[in-house]
Amino acid sequence: MSWRGELNKFLSATYKNWIISKRNVFTLFEIVFWPFIGLLSIGLLTRFLEVTEDMVAFVLVGAIALSILQISQMDVAYILLFDLWSKSIKQTFVAPIRGYHLVIGAMLFGMIRGAVVFLILALASFRFFGFDFLAGGIVTVIVFLAGTFITAASIGMAVCISILLFGQRADVAAWSLSGIMMLMSGVYYPVEILPGPLQLLSKSIPLTYFLEYYRSAYGYGSHHVVFGMGLALFYLAASLLILNLAIERARRTGMMLRLSE
Amino acid sequence: MSLSIEEGEIFGILGPNGAGKTTLMSIFSTLIRPDSGRLEIFGLDAQKNTHAVREKINISSGNPNFPWSLTVRENLNHSAMLYGLYGRDLRWAVDEAISTFELEAHADSKFETLSTGTKQRVSLAKSILNQPEILFLDEPTSGLDPEMALKTRSLIKKIYEEQEITVVLTTHYMPEAEELCDRIAFIRNGRLIALGTPGELKRALKIGHRIFIRYEGDLDPLRLRMIPGVMDVRLSSGRVEMVFDHSERAVSSIIKAFEGTDILDIGIDQPDLEDVFLELAR
Repeated sequence: MSWRGELNKFLSATYKNWIISKRNVFTLFEIVFWPFIGLLSIGLLTRFLEVTEDMVAFVLVGAIALSILQISQMDVAYILLFDLWSKSIKQTFVAPIRGYHLVIGAMLFGMIRGAVVFLILALASFRFFGFDFLAGGIVTVIVFLAGTFITAASIGMAVCISILLFGQRADVAAWSLSGIMMLMSGVYYPVEILPGPLQLLSKSIPLTYFLEYYRSAYGYGSHHVVFGMGLALFYLAASLLILNLAIERARRTGMMLRLSE
Repeated sequence: MSLSIEEGEIFGILGPNGAGKTTLMSIFSTLIRPDSGRLEIFGLDAQKNTHAVREKINISSGNPNFPWSLTVRENLNHSAMLYGLYGRDLRWAVDEAISTFELEAHADSKFETLSTGTKQRVSLAKSILNQPEILFLDEPTSGLDPEMALKTRSLIKKIYEEQEITVVLTTHYMPEAEELCDRIAFIRNGRLIALGTPGELKRALKIGHRIFIRYEGDLDPLRLRMIPGVMDVRLSSGRVEMVFDHSERAVSSIIKAFEGTDILDIGIDQPDLEDVFLELAR
């Protein structure tokens, strides 16, 4: 197979997600409405509580990260969710395609949508709350976004794995997992205030480190972003491996067919 | 079950509901893995060389589904990308599939708005995008009205003839299998219970068309039994019931055998799947 053929296998998921997104009014809510409302509510809360500028930055970084994480992980989860809802999973998996083709293609579209959400929220927080999202420089933003996208891809794959293992009802994981991330990785508060065991758990979540890294540009202590990136890449590789195993298991157990009925 | 399908034939798999037809097709198309056993496609072990096998095959199922909000052309574009087609080849393959299955008028319609018959044609169009060497068709006329079923069968014949591929199809419908298939396997409870050409099976099982003739006059029963293709003759006063192999073109010989008598009434019944299975169940 030529490199262009291989490239198109990757882009097949990008193409499908793009077509479905552009035709779905829900996309506007995903990209603009809910992230914007969430950011505005959190920002206004900081006004009401009369917190310092640094603390405003702390909270807004969390709100922005959560929105990016949610939108990007959904795009990877859509690899199976769109097919699950239209009962067309077997049309995808009868083709000579591998898990990484689908994940990377969907991740690409998730990165584009995530970057758009970041831009909207960063500009809105600058306009309404004076938050300078470039205070740490463009490299900080790029590393933060890259880390968040990689983490989101692993969460999206976890959703796909759950569906392949447990069937259609597991699609609830698509909305639940980012909520767990919000609780555990210190989106709105430092992880130090979590109970001991949860603090330990938060150390195993890459998003914790990317939040820490971005916030360090606003004077919030040190960061361990290299470790966080290593952890994120490890989860990405492990998720890909488990996703492929889950696909094979779904073929063995017949789940692949049941999800198409 | 052990069976071998020849390159270039249309091979039918028949069986009642729950016989395992769809499971077998899903194993053939690598959608599910068998618990045990071995599947070779063009000499490749389908479980070890899954991706190489998938490059050579495609499948179309009855009552198909595709992403609802994509148009026919977008769904075909997406499927073609999954098979690694690109650029001019992709556009040609999609245009050709749309044209072969007469989908031009629906090319820009969303999949969710299509009728059952058109959805079926989309599925068939998708199944030829990668120019497969083997095409698996799982109940391709299921749920279609007779006119659309007839059209679908003629389209299947068309792609078989034009693309010189091997076709494996499942069906509940005996005339469809008889019209399309070179050989047929009957399966029940996951087991192969009969295998052969339609004529061979009906001869072996003595299942054929039935002709009923009411007549007046003298008739020589031996003459009837000697007609090529006649498998059974039952005589009662003024009435003959015969079972014959339709592929032997026996009807005109049967009518000739009634020369010298007055034929009052004639009726012909085609054998159906139920007849075959009732016979096989004995």
